[in-house]
Amino acid sequence: MNLQATNPVPDSLLLQARAGNRQAFAALVRQHQGSVFSIGLRMLSRRDAAEDLAQDVFLQLYRKLDSIESLEHLGFWLRRVAANLAIDWLRRLPYSATQPLEEGAEVAVHDPDSDPLMSRELTRLLGELAPHPRAVMLLRYQEDQDVAEIAAALDMPVNTVKSHIKRSLTALRGRMIGAKLIDCEELT
Amino acid sequence: MKLPNSNEHFEDELRRALRPVDAPEDFTERLMRALPADAKPVLISSNIAPRARARQFGIPAALAASLLVAVMLGKHVAVEREQIAEQQGREASLKLMQALRVTSQKLDIAYQAVQSPPPAAAEENRS
Repeated sequence: MNLQATNPVPDSLLLQARAGNRQAFAALVRQHQGSVFSIGLRMLSRRDAAEDLAQDVFLQLYRKLDSIESLEHLGFWLRRVAANLAIDWLRRLPYSATQPLEEGAEVAVHDPDSDPLMSRELTRLLGELAPHPRAVMLLRYQEDQDVAEIAAALDMPVNTVKSHIKRSLTALRGRMIGAKLIDCEELT
Repeated sequence: MKLPNSNEHFEDELRRALRPVDAPEDFTERLMRALPADAKPVLISSNIAPRARARQFGIPAALAASLLVAVMLGKHVAVEREQIAEQQGREASLKLMQALRVTSQKLDIAYQAVQSPPPAAAEENRS
């Protein structure tokens, strides 16, 4: 079946996937794989681990498609499972919890407004945060979720989410200032 | 590297740095190959969903309804039995009262008979 030819609307895509249509499921995967893979990459700091995590998340989705009520619910479900699975993996493999992004895992930011050096530094520093605040920051700034959605996804109180965001912003900003000072000293 | 001078700018910079990245090109293909070939995710047709839901909730609902009917029926039978017992009690009480009344009347007659001797015997005594 050619999905391009039939051009299904998103909701029908979900219905088709639920009915066992593998092409429809593949189309859903393509729509969301970037988001899930990015959560994995920035949580686990390794491309291979991020791929494994994304594959695990989508296999779980395939088995539980009947519980997905809408595309909005699908997005929420994927973010929730990906973030919690990553936290769980970090608990089991503590060595990767504090590992910076591995060599080659960095992704170039093709945005004329952004500073590539700062983006790289921010991504690196984010990888130094503890798993829960890291997941909170990713859902907030990568996935653009509000605090209530993050609280629901990570099963934590709204105030805890706010607290993680505030502390993490302060810590990241402080480290960025520190990094800049080091650069200045090196120059002089 | 310019450090943003306000929290808002810092957050914007963070958003830019954390934009979702693309998964590897062949990710979907590899995932689809890893999917179980025989297992279907769920239902064959979305039309079946209500039926499946009915099957899922039908049996517990039927059991609950049966339980409710049984409780109501039991209660009704108990009330009926209580009413019958009350009726029987009332009838027995009436019969007892009637029996006591008859017995009392008989005793009065006997007492009167004992207290007043026959007139012939009284005249014989006088002569």
